This record gives sequence, structure tokens and C-alpha cells, in this order.
Amino acid sequence: MDSAFITNLILASVRMATPLIFLSLAELYSQRAGLVHIGLEGLAAIGSLAGFLVSLITGNPLLGVLAGAAVGILVNMIYAYATINLCAEQIVYGMAINIFAPALAAFIYRVYFGAGSELVQVGLMTTLSGLLGIASDNFLVRLLLDQTPMVYLAYSLVIFTAVYFNKTKSGLNYKAVGEYPKAAATLGISVVGVKYAASVICGALAGIGGAYLTTCYSTTYTDGNVAGRGFIALAAVIFGRWSAGGVLLACLFFGFCDALQIRLQVGSYGIPYQFFQMIPYIATVVVLTVIGMKKAGPKGVGKPYLREER
Amino acid sequence: MKKIFALILTLAMVLSLAACGGGNSGSGTSGDGGSTPPADGSGDGKTYKVAMICDSSVSDGGWGMACYNAMIDAAAKYGWETAYSDSIAQSAYYESIVSFCDLDYDLIYAPGNQYTDAILQAAEEYPDIAFALLNGGADTPAKAANANVTSLLPDAQQVGWIAGILAGLMTETGKVAFIGGMEIDTTKGKYAGFVESAEYIGQQEGKTVEALDVVYSGDFSASDKGIEFAKAMMDQGADVFFGDASAVDSGARQAIDEANAAAGSVKVYDIAQPGDFLGQNECIIGSQVTDNSGLVGLCMEAVENGTFGGETIFGTMQNGVLSAGAVSDLVPADKQEKYQSYLDQVMDGTFMQ
Repeated sequence: MDSAFITNLILASVRMATPLIFLSLAELYSQRAGLVHIGLEGLAAIGSLAGFLVSLITGNPLLGVLAGAAVGILVNMIYAYATINLCAEQIVYGMAINIFAPALAAFIYRVYFGAGSELVQVGLMTTLSGLLGIASDNFLVRLLLDQTPMVYLAYSLVIFTAVYFNKTKSGLNYKAVGEYPKAAATLGISVVGVKYAASVICGALAGIGGAYLTTCYSTTYTDGNVAGRGFIALAAVIFGRWSAGGVLLACLFFGFCDALQIRLQVGSYGIPYQFFQMIPYIATVVVLTVIGMKKAGPKGVGKPYLREER
Repeated sequence: MKKIFALILTLAMVLSLAACGGGNSGSGTSGDGGSTPPADGSGDGKTYKVAMICDSSVSDGGWGMACYNAMIDAAAKYGWETAYSDSIAQSAYYESIVSFCDLDYDLIYAPGNQYTDAILQAAEEYPDIAFALLNGGADTPAKAANANVTSLLPDAQQVGWIAGILAGLMTETGKVAFIGGMEIDTTKGKYAGFVESAEYIGQQEGKTVEALDVVYSGDFSASDKGIEFAKAMMDQGADVFFGDASAVDSGARQAIDEANAAAGSVKVYDIAQPGDFLGQNECIIGSQVTDNSGLVGLCMEAVENGTFGGETIFGTMQNGVLSAGAVSDLVPADKQEKYQSYLDQVMDGTFMQ
């Protein structure tokens, strides 16, 4: 295992962790307002298609990302209305989004491009080093500058989220809604308003996470390209103990495991590939078993808020 | 009002579950087919219907797309109606197949070895329906209880040879790479053929050629995995790629194109399959082409004649099912000549003898 292996592994980990960070933050904002959202996979799928289509039509990946966010918000409003206003079961509607949104994305793609059409490819967002005209093989340059603006946005959002939830009155009010909404309401906090704001943020971030895949990572859109990241993000939030910093570490860990299994497969020399494919999942089970015992999540998560209820 | 809205919302979700749960389906007549009379004049007034199931997308720019287009081409020739269900999960193979059986489709076309169990189970329950399994095992038809299964079996070794010869000729680093989707017999056969032919060509050309260990993405949709695999394999020195992983191959080509762009010249190549994809990506220097359309057409003919089932139709270069696609200008003229010469050896059965 030489230094090139390690540096390339770190770079691959960052690439693979970035969409997870967006999705995990989406889940974090949702759960902090008491809404457990297992429909991230679906939101990311429709965001991925919206990003791809708008990027293709306009030639501007940034507009694609914005479109992904907008579509994510739009679809998440179904979940929001059903779970906030109608107090419907959050898990059921999350699952429904997971089935409905990817199918809608596949349907739109098929209508737009036709079945069996030529492979459509779009240009990806330019990296910072590309914008600055810097070309270097130096590890630090590649790590810090050879990234798209979305990567910097992801890490900036982690810092913002940590500060917002822990250092601002608004953030504490937000968390109070997820902990004990009735008490929050007695303090004059609009519980429904916060939950809707959470749904807007969740939809936007999940849509951006999906759009990242088709505007910054892969030049093509394929059904199923989210590939379970929505569920991994769910695990990352638990893994990260519902804190922004913890979520970041969890995403980097999952990204690292996935990158590691790919690189170990390439140099395996006789070891069955299934062994390496198990690594991220074994790591997840082990870590959740070790740290998942201690209940640290919002107390009101998953529970409907009925204002008139005693 | 809330109750009515909730009811509507629930209904919409239930319909979504029902309509989309098994994958993404589409159906329709094939181009100007459907109502057109069969080209071979064997029409008996009935409009035959064929349905394809696929676990990758039919717009994946690789395997799924080529197999779908093969069905469309064959259906247009014989005047059949077509339908498909793509991007289906492994757990939905059987359900998707029987859904089409319940709709009285005459032929179920399953392009992949991984559908074998589901096809055999459905074939036992629907004895009047014909099941064509592309890349099925040679012994699969014999396992069918009702003799209504036919295996379409392009010679995986020859598929690997066609790509391996070009890879052996073109590699400068002496390292070639193969990306698989799932560990299935046909993929293993293609990899084995690719490795043995690339190494053999290396010996013939006075250089050492070795293949990196085969890697598997675990599915056919994760183009990002293709990107990461290709980057990792290029780090190991691989400079010619071949694959059997559908959209994952598209991801690999993206990574290769990016590496070539960064290097300022095309030094890493990819060989596509099973259609002729020259021009789709800059790195593609050639393709291994399988005439799946001809194979599906043979099944359609057999269904119309009432002679379908119980056989394995082999596809080889000798019977025209397998061939090499167009070769890129990146392949020097002398190597193109050598490539053709080796392909001629495959044709006359003297390759590696």
C-alpha cells in the first residue's frame, strides 16, 4: 500500500462522501423538527433527474442544482402536508415517496428521451482549480482546489448547521420543536411553521444531493443512480448522533469505506470481491451497535403533532 | 375537507405503489410495427406480442439499450408488438415476468443469465407462453418442465476474444482491465476469453500483457462505481478497458475520457459491447457486437411456426451473430490489419491453436 494508494483513496472518499453530506443534512434538519424522513432516496432520485435535464437544456450545471432543489421541495410538500397537517404516519409516507419519486423520474426521462435512445451526456460543473487555471498533481491542491463549488457548499453547510443549532436562538427554537413540540408552542414558537421550514430545507438539500450526482459526478442519468444513498444518509444521522459534526464524520466514514472496498477489489489478487463489498455494511452494523445504544435523537421524532391533544 | 384530501392522497399513493412498485414499465408497439404485416409473410391474422424484462435501464448506453433495440428491430421485422419493464430489482424478476404472462404475451424475452430461475419458474406455470433467455445456460432449456424455454447463447469466450485481441494489440503498459456487473457465468466467460486472448496477443507481439483481477460493481446502474473502478484501475496502470456492466461501463468511460483530457491525449482506451458504440465516447476504440436482433428474430419465427422451445441457439462469429464493430482512427493502420487477421483466425477456428 503506497502513498499514491492512500492519497487516491482520500480523494475518492471525499468524492463519494459529498452527496451523502447533502442527504444526511437533509435528514438532520427534518429529524430535528420531529420528522423522520425515510424518503430521501426518492427525493434525491427526482432531484438527480431535474438537475440532469436542466443542466442539459441550459448548459448550466448550477441551474441544474437549483432545479434539483426546487423539485425536491415540491415533491417533499406531499410528505409535509400529509405528515404535518394530516398527522399521517411518517414512515409510510416516506416509503411512498421512495416508490413514487424514482418511478416519476424514470417516467419523465423515458417520455423526454424515448426508450433505447442514444446515451445522453451532459457537461459537469467546473472545479475550482479549473476556474483558476491551476493544474497540479500535488495532493493538497487536488484535495482542496480540484473540487466543484458544491463540495465547498456541503462543508460550509455543515459548519453553518453546527453553529445554527447550537449557537443561535432560532436554532434552539428549531430543536425544541423536535424535542417537545407542545412546550415549544407554549413559548410562542410556530410548530407547524418550523416543521414546514424543515420540510423545505430537507427537500432542497435532498434534491441538491441528487442533482450533485448528475451535475458534478456523473455525466449521465441512469435509473437507480442514487444507489441507496438515501438510506445510508439515514444511518449517518444516527451514526453522527444528530449533530452536524457527527454527521460529517459519519459521511466521510461511509465514503471512505466505499472507496476502500473499490480500491481493495482492484488489488485483491484472489480474495473474493464480496468480502470487500461487505466492508461498508459491516462497519455500519458494528458502529451502530456500539454507539446506537445511547438514545440521543430528538424525543419528538416520528410523532405527529396534534395541537388540541392533551 | 381534510378527510377528502387525505383520501385522494392515499389513493394516489396506492396507485403509485401499484403502478410503479415492480420497476419502471413501458409498453407500446414497435415503431411502425404492431399493426404491420409480418415481413416473412407468415401472418395468420394474429398480432403477436413480445415483452422484455431488464434489471438495467433500456437507456443505459450499454447492455440494456442494445438488448432493447434488438427486440425493437426484430419486432419491426416480424410485425410484433413490444413492451418492456426495466430497472427492475432482483426480487421483482418473477413478478414482472408473470405480469406479462397474465397479459397473454406470446414471448417473454429476458436478456441475462441472472433471470434463469425466474424464467424456469414462470415457464412451468405458463406452458403456452414462450420464454427466450439471452445468455442462458446451454442446459437451461432441458431444465424447463414444459419445453417452452430457449437459450440464446452468444459464445462468451469469443466475445472476450474479440475485445481481448484489440486490447492486447493496443496496450502500451501491458495491463488491461475488465469491469463486471455481477458474477454470472457469461460475465466470467467473457472475462476468461478477454484475458487469454489479450495475453496470447501479447506473446505474439513480443510484449507481456496481463489483466488486472476482475472487479464487480454488484449492480448495473451505479455509473459512479464505474468512475471509481476506472480511476483505481488506471492508478494500477491499466490502459485498455472492457466490461460487462451496463451503465457502470458508461461511468468507466467518463473517467477514462477525463483522464485522457487531463493528459492531453488519448492514451487509455475502452472497448464497448454489445452494440457498436464507436463515437459515443472519445476513448472507445472498438466494439464487440452481438446481433441479438437476429437471435430474437429466430425466436419470433419459431413462435409463429409453433416450433419454439427446448433448444439452445448458439451465437458465434461463424454464424454471424458475433462480430467486431467499427474501429477507431486511434488504432494505427498496421494494428487494424493485425486485428482483422486475428479475427479471421477466430472465424476459421485457428485462433490460439
